[in-house]
Amino acid sequence: MNFRLDSSRGFTIGIAELTGRLDAQNSKELQKTFVSWLQKTRCLVLDCSAVDFIDSSGLGAIVGCLRKTLEAAGELKLAGLNAKVAMVFELTQAERLFSIFTNAGEAAASFAAAPDSQK
Amino acid sequence: MNISETQAGSITIVAITGTLDASTTKELLKSPAISNPAQSVVMDLEHLDFLDSSGLGALIGTLRKKRERSAETLISCMNDRVRRVFEITNAHRIFHIFDDTAAAVDYATQLTARI
Amino acid sequence: MKTLLAIREREYEWVQQAFPSIHPLLLPICNKPFTEFLIDFAILAGSTEIRLLSDGPLGKVEDYCEDGSRWGIKLSYGHLQAEDSLPELLNKSRKFCTDDRIMIISGFSFIHYDKQLGYANFMSLMPAGTCASCPGGNITLAGPPETSAQELPALPLTLMPLNQIESYFRISMETLETGAARYVLPGYGNEPGCAIGRNVVISKSSEIIKPVSIGNNVQILSGAVIGPGAIIGNNVIVDKESTVKSGIILDNTYIGEHLEINGRIATGNTLIDPARGASIAMEDPHLLSGIRSADKRGSAIRKTVHLLAAAILVALQLIPFLLLFPLLKLLGRWKSGMAICHGAGHGKSFTLPTTLITGNGPLASLASSLSLDRLPLLLRIFTGQLAIIGSTPVPVTLETVVLPGEHQGYRPAVFSYAEAEEWPVNDSDAAIVERYFIVHSTPLKDISMTLKALLNRL
Repeated sequence: MNFRLDSSRGFTIGIAELTGRLDAQNSKELQKTFVSWLQKTRCLVLDCSAVDFIDSSGLGAIVGCLRKTLEAAGELKLAGLNAKVAMVFELTQAERLFSIFTNAGEAAASFAAAPDSQK
Repeated sequence: MNISETQAGSITIVAITGTLDASTTKELLKSPAISNPAQSVVMDLEHLDFLDSSGLGALIGTLRKKRERSAETLISCMNDRVRRVFEITNAHRIFHIFDDTAAAVDYATQLTARI
Repeated sequence: MKTLLAIREREYEWVQQAFPSIHPLLLPICNKPFTEFLIDFAILAGSTEIRLLSDGPLGKVEDYCEDGSRWGIKLSYGHLQAEDSLPELLNKSRKFCTDDRIMIISGFSFIHYDKQLGYANFMSLMPAGTCASCPGGNITLAGPPETSAQELPALPLTLMPLNQIESYFRISMETLETGAARYVLPGYGNEPGCAIGRNVVISKSSEIIKPVSIGNNVQILSGAVIGPGAIIGNNVIVDKESTVKSGIILDNTYIGEHLEINGRIATGNTLIDPARGASIAMEDPHLLSGIRSADKRGSAIRKTVHLLAAAILVALQLIPFLLLFPLLKLLGRWKSGMAICHGAGHGKSFTLPTTLITGNGPLASLASSLSLDRLPLLLRIFTGQLAIIGSTPVPVTLETVVLPGEHQGYRPAVFSYAEAEEWPVNDSDAAIVERYFIVHSTPLKDISMTLKALLNRL
């Protein structure tokens, strides 16, 4: 998991690149690490373009991340879901909970349209 | 097992009656039309009641040997039981199989005439 | 007239990759195997004898279609070589082709036809040659017309290649929409666009929206929404609050709770996107999973294993029981009664002993941790009423008069899979894990699950 902060838009956006499988083995770690990211900024993007498999616990972790973000009045966006991961989101209707973008750049750009989150 | 050979032009029809298994394949392989690798044959299996793996092996061996000399081994008139053996073993993929002996003879005559 | 169906293996290779458990020639289109559509059309066109030719294995097709007597025709099987030309095919089936007119349907393609029209007349009048074709498939007539040419009627007859998952999905949906007006489709239903098979349990709170086709042995649980455009195969469970629309659920599939299947094909634990061809195998059995059809031999093995395990358990429990039971009974801590419970079959019920060990004393807790309260139930395994592990027996009460209508996933037992898995003891949740394991567990796994259930009580 690679995390970087992008301040090019005048406020800080945290972009996390998730890789490989997102399953029971590493979903707890994601949730734990996510708390530390959330302390740095409340505008977050999970870039899933390198995620090739997700199971229900991985999905649960991402939903958990969303809940934490909303509690902190922040915003969480997803980017770059491949066809297989997108199908899991669709199947479980989790796609309705998230704003999903084709890539991290678009996801980051979308924050500007919602300056509310930068309080 | 009983083998009868009939000549139809340049093609020999080999009709097998009874059982083709480990004990009877030797006899088949010794029969003149089968042992001559240059002779194209049509195996008439209408009255073949039982075929096991060694019998099938003999048929395939015959086909291979004859193909080396550009001769054909065709199958005709299999009953359902023999057909299933062919299918399970995938032998049906390598043989040309006919439901009529005369049709098989025509086909073999054409093939040999081409060469 | 007679019909030759010639289908080469390379034409349906993609089906074997996409649906490994289905014989491509039996690929269900709107719950009807592909080959049956061809047979229907051949009969409609006036054939009395049909021969199916392929270079692939036909065993499963033969098991299903048999000799064709089901359709009142003679069906036989034969072989071809992939590169055989049409004259070669006719020559290889010379004995079969004794009639003047032969119709040859070749290729793995779907025939659009209308069952209400007279194709027999059409086929006997058409001149020899190809009368319909598409990439990879055609319908050809051989031999002179049976009667000399009159005015040729124009009939709708087109072929569509069935060459990838996308066309399969499209053809299935089209067939569902055109429905029983044009094709002979399976299932019952008193309104068009809604066909339902045998042994289908549909929860009252679920919603069915036309057009749908539902196979045999299907359970639609509460709150599920089926349709529009849903094809549900045989032996399928759609769990609570799930939605299936514009989708195909193939045979033997479990769809978990709160899921949405829209424009997708689900088969076993695999979800396929027909438009992109992408597929994903779910590793979570509570999302999607395959349902193995229970074979009788398997259930006999299971019963024997359960009996042996029960005998060992009874032997182990006997001495502690003889020591503790009189004491607890004297102290009034052992309360026993009877309850009427639902049996394994539909509408069956039987009485079961119930035991409650009360109090927190050392004797009572020892008895509970040794599961002595289950001993009276264990004896019911020998009478065949209970399994050692399965579902918690559901008592017959006013509310559950009809329950469990979902008797397929119900196997009353001494211990429940839910206990073994330590699922939240919430009845509906427990029933899910039980249903799941009743379908998925093996006899060996049953034993380890029973041990787990016992250890959980220690």
